Order: sequence, then structure tokens, then C-alpha cells
Amino acid sequence: MNPDEHRMVDLEDHFLTRRQFLQRAGMGFGALSLAGLLGEGLFSAARALEAEANLLPKTPPLPAKAKHVVHIFAQGAPSHVDTWDYKPSLAKLDGQPIPGMDGVAMASPFKFSKKGKSGIEVSEVFPQIGERVDDLCVIKSMYTDIPAHEVATIMMNTGSRLVRPSLGSWVLYGLGSENQNMPGFVSLRPGGPPPGGTANWQSSFLPGLYQGVSINTKVPTLNQLIENIRNPNTPLPEQRRQLDLVHKLNELHSQNMQKEAQLEARLEAFEMAFKMQTEATDAFDLNKESATTREAYGRTSQGNQLLIARRLIERGVRFVQVWAGGWDHHQDLEEKLADRAKDIDQPLAAFIQDLKQRGLFDETLVVWGGEFGRKPVRDRNGGDNPGRDHNAKAFTTVLAGGGVRGGMTYGETDEFGNASVKDKVHVHDLHATILALLGFDHKKLTYRYNGRDFRLTETYGEIIKPVFA
Amino acid sequence: MKSRILVFLFSAIISRGAFAADLTPSQLEFFESKIRPILADNCYKCHSAQAEKVKGSLLLDSREGVLKGGDSGPVIVPGDPEKSLLIKAVRYIDPDLQMPKKNKLPDEQIAALEQWVRMGAPDPRLATADQKKFNDNKTNHWAWQPVKRVQPPTVEENGWCLTPVDNFIFAKLAEKNLKPNPPADKRTLIRRATFDLIGLPPTPEEVQAFVDDNSPEAFAKVVDRLLASPHYGERWGRHWLDVARYSDTKGQPRRFFEDSINPFAWTYRDYVIRSFNEDKPYNMFVMEQIAADRLTTSQRNPTNLTALGFLTVGDHFMGMQNDVINDRIDAVCKGFLGLTVTCARCHDHKFDPIPQKDYYSLRGIFDSCVEPKLEPVVSPIYVTPAFETYHRQRDKLAFEETNLKDSLPKLRKSDQEAFKEARRTLQNVEHQIAMLDLTNTVAPMHAMVLEDAARGHDSPLFIRGEAGNRGETVPRRFLQVLSAPNRPIYTNGSGRLELAFAIASKNNPLTARVMVNRIWEHHFGAGFVPTPDDFGMMSEPPSHPELLDYLAQSFMDNGWSIKKLHRLIMLSEVYQQSSAGNPRYAEIDPGNRLLWRANTHRLEFEPLRDSLLAIGGTLDTNLYGRPVQNRALDSNRRTIYNFVDRANIADVLVNFDFADPAMVTGKRYETTVPQQALYLMNNPLVISLAKRLVAMKEFLSQDNDEAKLKFLYERIYQRLPEPLETQLGLEFVNATQLLDDSANPVPPAAESPKLNPRGKLAKHQPPANGKKAAPLTAWQEFAQALLQANETSFVN
Repeated sequence: MNPDEHRMVDLEDHFLTRRQFLQRAGMGFGALSLAGLLGEGLFSAARALEAEANLLPKTPPLPAKAKHVVHIFAQGAPSHVDTWDYKPSLAKLDGQPIPGMDGVAMASPFKFSKKGKSGIEVSEVFPQIGERVDDLCVIKSMYTDIPAHEVATIMMNTGSRLVRPSLGSWVLYGLGSENQNMPGFVSLRPGGPPPGGTANWQSSFLPGLYQGVSINTKVPTLNQLIENIRNPNTPLPEQRRQLDLVHKLNELHSQNMQKEAQLEARLEAFEMAFKMQTEATDAFDLNKESATTREAYGRTSQGNQLLIARRLIERGVRFVQVWAGGWDHHQDLEEKLADRAKDIDQPLAAFIQDLKQRGLFDETLVVWGGEFGRKPVRDRNGGDNPGRDHNAKAFTTVLAGGGVRGGMTYGETDEFGNASVKDKVHVHDLHATILALLGFDHKKLTYRYNGRDFRLTETYGEIIKPVFA
Repeated sequence: MKSRILVFLFSAIISRGAFAADLTPSQLEFFESKIRPILADNCYKCHSAQAEKVKGSLLLDSREGVLKGGDSGPVIVPGDPEKSLLIKAVRYIDPDLQMPKKNKLPDEQIAALEQWVRMGAPDPRLATADQKKFNDNKTNHWAWQPVKRVQPPTVEENGWCLTPVDNFIFAKLAEKNLKPNPPADKRTLIRRATFDLIGLPPTPEEVQAFVDDNSPEAFAKVVDRLLASPHYGERWGRHWLDVARYSDTKGQPRRFFEDSINPFAWTYRDYVIRSFNEDKPYNMFVMEQIAADRLTTSQRNPTNLTALGFLTVGDHFMGMQNDVINDRIDAVCKGFLGLTVTCARCHDHKFDPIPQKDYYSLRGIFDSCVEPKLEPVVSPIYVTPAFETYHRQRDKLAFEETNLKDSLPKLRKSDQEAFKEARRTLQNVEHQIAMLDLTNTVAPMHAMVLEDAARGHDSPLFIRGEAGNRGETVPRRFLQVLSAPNRPIYTNGSGRLELAFAIASKNNPLTARVMVNRIWEHHFGAGFVPTPDDFGMMSEPPSHPELLDYLAQSFMDNGWSIKKLHRLIMLSEVYQQSSAGNPRYAEIDPGNRLLWRANTHRLEFEPLRDSLLAIGGTLDTNLYGRPVQNRALDSNRRTIYNFVDRANIADVLVNFDFADPAMVTGKRYETTVPQQALYLMNNPLVISLAKRLVAMKEFLSQDNDEAKLKFLYERIYQRLPEPLETQLGLEFVNATQLLDDSANPVPPAAESPKLNPRGKLAKHQPPANGKKAAPLTAWQEFAQALLQANETSFVN
């Protein structure tokens, strides 16, 4: 797959890098030149540029198994004991107290059966994903700190409860992007922002161009997908001229400005916006897919999201976050969980199949999972249609592709699925593992800020080597 | 405060002595050789201050910890091994309680522990040093101390200081050998002040009047004029709505059939705008939002009841009442007090002295409140034909609603299909009712009130926050950390009124400080405390603690007048200084925490969009009223009046860092993303404003290009262009016109790419909706460039 074939090469020379811009701005004005007037300012800006952040692709320090990440976030905390972590003891004790726990056991309303050559037990709610289980690595022993959605969601995406760069921003910072005309980190959401909003894809103290670009995919037309992506009045070359003028005006104005980092990010944002107008519309245009492919993914919100994700990966986008939430089942679990599962079952199975067919599976790490798990006992709020309450001590995360061994499970929870007990994997450990698959030592991927070296995993994180292929 | 520290140290010394004196040498020897190793090897991993995660809230690394016990209560009864949980656990007799989890201890170690308990559990260990220091800090944290009456420091260079505020700033700068910037020029200053106070740019006439006014009161006059503007409330009301997690929808409605629209949320929004405009004393503003229904002023003025929207405008959490209450506690405590009390829902606060019991004291208050089925009508009803029509429609829908609700139980049993159909119809009817109330201008205004239940009751503590796991019942009362000893127990109804008084009290060390900090933050870009909703132990200490107290004290002394506070702040030299940079200073104080210059800020989306409308001359300046339902946000009304759907925030708002109504937001995130650029580059509203600007009479009547350019600069940036900017602009316009002219012979509507109006740079963007619009003229393009440039989005 050559990402270049999607670029509009004939327009390339209209896309200015900042350095080119500065050179141009400096040369355009004869005696009373901008550069002359702003001499020092321009010089220092150009110098800063040398060491500045950029999106150019970088080689990771260690051998990498994956080049892209697609993180499908099952927000709301899916019940692991109804999906991936089969617990026959719950059925036996259904309606009776579980020793040492508060409340009565709730049997899973779903049947589990062994799937694939590996014989991993998968719930009937995932009929199609179940067929692909030999491609999956099911980590059953996840745990996190706080069983509250917003905190735990942000934790899963940033490794922290504070304002910290997201996983995608770290990856982009470390690896750059293979496509300079698209944001390197895209977050797809079917509707409004998830709990925690921007915090889930923010770059925090990392430079602004590592920020995720969040896109609402639940809109009827391509033009609404990235609002204002098209300008009916101004042809691109003309807009290029206009944008050059804007940059020059900004350069003059910035003499009195102080937020250099922010202005820098703004310049990048305008340039990226300009470039996106050609390539992004194409990347998001699902009409360019064959009817067969559309049907395979299903013409649903998640089907569309995963198909867009594949188109983005193909174009060299480094990290795609896919929000696939709605898993907070305190009540009506039988109906609602099945519904959520159905939503992702066909699209995810098709996505894996498609990646394989296109030779992208081995270089793309796919992650599916939520922010925590659920309790083996009934939620008291559920009444006649029971559900389960939050549980930070146990949940399941599924990995696939990019250097991960398929057809395996890792770790165990206790007899009832109340807590992870064997080979426990904390969120930090998962992050360390993802970075390792991408060719980084999580302890060495650092960024100096306020006089201190920060890293994604703070002072924690152990790589889960057994999941490597 | 000093004496408190002394007392604490003193008691610590005494207790240390007492502990050591407790133990005989042989007891000490026994503990150190037998007991400490067992505990350290087998228990500390999960039960010590060093543990990565403390299990069961039990600490076994200090004497206090052992005696206090954990979630299951005390673990030893000194002298009685049979009654001690610790012994029971190590004996492995109860399958539910076996410690250490991995392996049973060897018999001789179990015997040693039994002997130790029999001896009375002699223990020489103190709380760890870290813990002790932490506990000291917990009591002495600056934010819990009373607001101090401070005198402004005397400073050498009094010439700089216009107001006492400056003395504090100057003194801190002088400590680092820094000097403040000179004053900003007048055009910059009036632009800054106008955006700060009303969220709009000044008109060219206002700028000129200020520039021409050489009296010493010139700026004070500007500030007073702006404070008197009704648009002031729209600007500062929006800041408060961020805190109040305002939305016109319920998020997740209580019942399946309920509609998600809150048809009268806007009455709370209007209350907030009006309160700021009227300069309602802040203590009254606080009290009304917590307990307007219990204040006599509300009997005289029922509209005040709309204040209670502060409590009721949050998410409905699918009817999970504990979450609704939690949201209310969160809004009250973060909003008014800067405290993260809801962290104590499941356990004692990890950092602040907020025991879990305090959370349940507040829970008792809010659990003793109800939302009445019929919200009170707070507007007069005039029986006009329009009202009669509305009334008939409303009655008809209400009748249908009742019938459908009545039919459901029967249908559920008899006919599943009909049942589902009836449910759908009911949802539809509910939606129609909500829409009718939301949109019909004669629909009477309802206040979204909260009322005290018939009887107030205390709440049990929920162990680990689990509703089914009830602990002791705790009385309704205020937070321990903000109360004198013997804090009173609330008995008046739910206790909401008493809570309101406690928060709005001058003795409360946080209320005034938190609000002063919010106001300072919106003027300077950052508060004294950078986390406006959290003044607890995890927050950074204030940059200027004395000034914060000085302002808090004068705020209260001045009758909690927010407008007087603005005046006090804005008339200072520090507010009026320029934002020019200084590389040497930037190295000493990179974040400008000491305020050696004014901070540049980026406009939030509301003032950005509103100012585009104002510049283009299309802004609708009407105040108040029903929300504008317009997801594209291209109406001419101010952005604050746009309908906010918390479950589906308009994308343009998300892209521009709008405050998420899921939570209290004292400070918005600030991101820079390509979609913001795309908005200014391509949004039809921005393009239409560029077109309008150059279609204005004042533009067309200028007789030369330089004058035209000057008009645009004054209109958009409220200043004149610099020579270089004039040169740049004219070059651009001329070059564009040349391109246009060279393309002119070609008919612009032609389809063939060869016939493109832009000559050799022929490459059209894909047309939106298949429609191609006429290309912009050179001046339109230039005007839009000015709108895109940073100066439109930033205030200097």
C-alpha cells in the first residue's frame, strides 16, 4: 500500500512547511522587508523550528511489531463475565449469596461456547468476532484504580487522573505520521463527546500537533463529517494565497504576543486544515468503497467508523481512537448488552478480515475494551431486569494484530470474576505493552516539561511479554 | 495559625513519650523480634502507607492503624485473641476471612501473634513521618484558614501603583527584581476591557471617544459604562453557566417515556444573566441557588425561584437518584467552595480532610428534597387568543399522556405489540409537550425548583459508596473542615437553607476566595489558584495569597458586589499594563505567574462568534428568552442563547473547547485543532460576514484603497494599520485583482477546468452540495483574511 497514491501531488508545492513560509515571508518585500523589520523575531522563530515538533515519520529505537494502533473504546465498562470471561460458578449460585461478597450472584444470561482452533470460550453475543478468536489475544486479568466512568476512561486513555497527554499523542510524538496531509491521530465518535471529552485525546504539555482530532461520525453527509471542510467560494490555490497573507499578518501581530507555543500550534492547525481539504474528504468518503465492503462492515454507525478507521490507517494515520460505548448496564443487561455487542460484532469481525486481506493486520494493533469491568452480583437498582454494578478489580481487554499472539488468553480472574488474581494487568502495564509493540521502551519515551521528564506510564508499567507473537 | 501548629507539635511530643513509656524493654524486644517481621513480611504489601493499593482501608504499619482497623472494623481487641479479627484471619478457620491470602502462616507465627494480642498488643510504632506531616498539613492548609485582613504592602516605587492591588503585585515582582510593563496603549486597553466585560469588541466610535478623552477618569468611565451594559450579564453569566453545568436537556431522562428536553432550563440561564446585570450581592446569589424556595424574598419575587435551576439543571442519570444527588453535591461544593467533596462518596477523601461521613451529611440534605410534579409558574398569564390556543393544545396532549400511561400496565400483560406501540406513542406525546412548552412564546414560564420533602431525614453512610451496603446514619450538617467544633445539626426541613447560610457566610473561608479567584482568572487568564474548582491540598498554592485575601475581604466588605470587584481589579495598573514580551523576564517567570505583563488570551467560541456578528453588523442584541434551536450556530443571537444539548453538543462547540455540561467547569480546556481553522476559513457565516463588511456604505464610500483598508482595520481590530500592514494588504488586493482581471474575459460559470476564473492556478475545491458559489472579490478575500488572522481570535 502506497499512501502517496492518495496525495494530490500537483498541489504539493502549494503546501508550505513553516520553514518555507518563513523563508518566503522574509523574501517578499524588498527594502522595507518584513524580515528586516522583524529580523530577530524571524530568526529566532526559524531557529526554534529546528528543534521543534513535527509530524515527520520517525524510526522507533527498538524493533517494532506494529506501526498503527486502532483503539476501539467500549466506554461504559462492558461486563467481562457476560462477554469474554466465562464463569460457570455464577450459574450454579444464581440468586444466592457469594461468600465474602455483598449481594447475590447473577448468572450470565448468555451462553458461552468454545470457538476456533484455540477453543477460547466466547459469549454468544459475539457470534462473528467469536469466529475470529484465533486472531485475538484475550487479556482477562485487567484492573484499574477507580470504578467511576469519567476518571477511569481518562485513565485508560492517558494513564492518569490528571491533565496528561493521551496514549495517541505519545505515540504520535514518538513515531510521527506517515501522512503529512492528515492529522496523525484521529478520534472517531458516533455523536457527542464521551465522558471526559477532550481529555481523552488531548496532547496536554506535548506540542499541539500531537493532539487528537475528534470527529463526529454520526452525521448524514461527508461535508458535515469534518465541518467546514469545503469552501464553495474560494479555489484552493487562491485560498493558499489568502492563507499566506494570514500567516504574514500573524507574524507581524505576534511581535506583541507571548504564547509562542500556542501561536505555533495555530499556524500548524491552519496548515493542516488547508491540507485536509484535499485528502481528508477522500479518506472519509465511504462512497469510494465497494458495495461488498460496505455490506461486510454493515451500514451502521460502528460499521462506518471502523471502515473509516481502515481508510485512515491505509493513508498512514498513526493512531485511531474509535468510540463504541454504551456499555453501562446497571439494569436490563440481557437486552442492552446484547444490543451493544451486536453493534460491534459484525463491524469488528469485518475489520479484522479486511485488514488481513490488505496486508495491514500485522502492522496494525487493534485494541478493544472498556475502562473497567462489572461485578458478578446483581445490581440492586436493576429490579426485575437486573444488571451489574461497576468493578475496577477485573475486566477484559482484547488485542489483535500488530505483533500480538492470536488465539490465546492471558491472566485469570477469581472463580466468580470479581477480581483479577493471576498475571494481573494494570492499565499502565497495557500501555507499556502497547508502546513496546510499537518499538518503544516506555521508560525512555519521555518529554521534558517544567523541568521534569514525563512519561505515559508515570513510575509504573510492566511489559506483558507473553502476548507477543 | 501559629498557635495551632505549636499545639499540634506539643501533643505529638507528648504522645511519643507516652507510647515509649507504655512498653517495657521485654515487650519492645518481643515486638521487634517476633511481631514486626511477621507484619512486615506478610501484611505490609497491602496494609501499609507504602502499599501500592491499601486493601480494606486497613493499615498495619502503625499503632494507630492496628487499633483503628479497616472496613470490617477494629482488627484486634487488646488482650482478647478470640475476639480479634486479625487472629481469626491468620487461623484460616473462616473461608471468607483468611490472611495472608497466599499461604497460611506457620503455626509458631500464629502463636506469636496470639501471644502479642494477649499481652495487650504493645506497639512502639508511630504513624510514619510522612503520614504525620501530611496530617499536619491537612489541618494547616491555607484554604481552611479564615480570610485575613491584610494591609497592602508599602513599595518603593509608589508611582506605579494606582490601586492597592498594585502594591501586592509590585511587591512580589520586586522580590525577583522584576518590573511591570508600561501601560497598554489606549486602543488595546479598551478592546481588552470591552471583551472582558461584555464579550464583544468596542465600536470604532467608542474607541475614538476613549482615545480623545484625556481626563484621568477616562478608563474608569469606560469600565463603568461596560458594567452598566446589559451585555455584561451575557458575558459573565456564561462563565457562571460553565460552573453550573448548564444544559437545556436532561442527558439521560428518569423514565423511558420522558423527553430529554428541559423546556424551562432557560429560565435559570436568564436568572443568572439578570443577577449579574443587577449586581446581585454574591452571598444572595449563592443562597438563592441553593434555597430560593425557603427565602422570604422569593415570596415577594417568585421569579427568584428560577435560581434553583442550579441544582436541577444537571443530568437525570436514568433516574438513579444517588447519582443525581451526587451531581448536586458536586455542583454546590466545587462551584461555591472549590472542594472536591464527591471524592468522599466511597471513602474518606484521599487528600483533603473530608471524611466520608461529611459526604453523607450532605447527602441527607439533598435526599430530603424533591422536585414537585408541577413546577411553579413564575410569569403572569395573559389570557389572549394565542394563549387559549396554546392551552387547548397542551390540554389535549396532557389528556393523551394520561390515557397512554393508564393503558400501559394492562397492555404489558395482554398484548406486547400494542404495548410497544403505546410506549412509542407516549414518547412522542411527551416530546410534543416539551417542544410546545419550549417554543411557544405564550407558554407560561416554570421554575425548575427543588423543594424540601415533608420530613427531613438523615442518610446512612454507604460503605465503599455502595447503596446496598449501609453503615451508620450520619446527621445532616456542614463540612467539618469549614466548621467550628460542635457544628450544629440541621433540623430546618431538609437543611438546605442552613447549608445555604453556612456557605454564604462571611466566616466561610472559601466562598469569597473561590469567587474572587474565578473573577481574577477571567480577567487575567489564570487565577491565583490555577484550579478554580479545587482549593484542596492537591491544588497549587495561590500565587498571591495576600492579594487573594485582600480582595476576598474587600469583596465581602463591599456587600459582595461583583461589579465593585471588577472595578477594583480593572482600575489597577496591573490590569492596564501592556502584554509586550521580555525574554529575560520570561526565563525567570515563564508562566507569568507574577504578572509582569498582561496575558494575551484567546477568545472562547461565544465571544469569537458574537464579535464576528458584531463586526459584520448583524448581531441581534435582544436579551433573554427561549433558546435558539440551531445546531449550526449561525443565528444572529448571542451564542449564550443557543440551545445546549448535553447528550449531543454541537460539533462546532466541541471543536472550540466548550465547557462540557457533564461537570463543573471553572476553567475550559484550550486546544488548537484544524477544525478551528476550518471554521474561520470556510464557514458560510464567516464568509458572509466578510462579504457584508465590504458591502457596507462606510466601506464603499471611501475613495481610495488605503482608506478602505483603514476602515477594515478599525472595524475588525479597532485600530489603524501599521505601514507594513498597509503595504502587505494593498499588495494582496492588487495582486488578487490582477488575477481576477486576467480571468475576467472567461465566463465564470463555465464548467470546463480550462475556463477557471483563476487562470493558471486552476484547481477548484470539490463543490459543497454540488453547488459552486461565485468566487470572492479581492476585498472580500482580504476582509476574510483579517477575520482569520490571530488578532480576531486573541485579546492582547
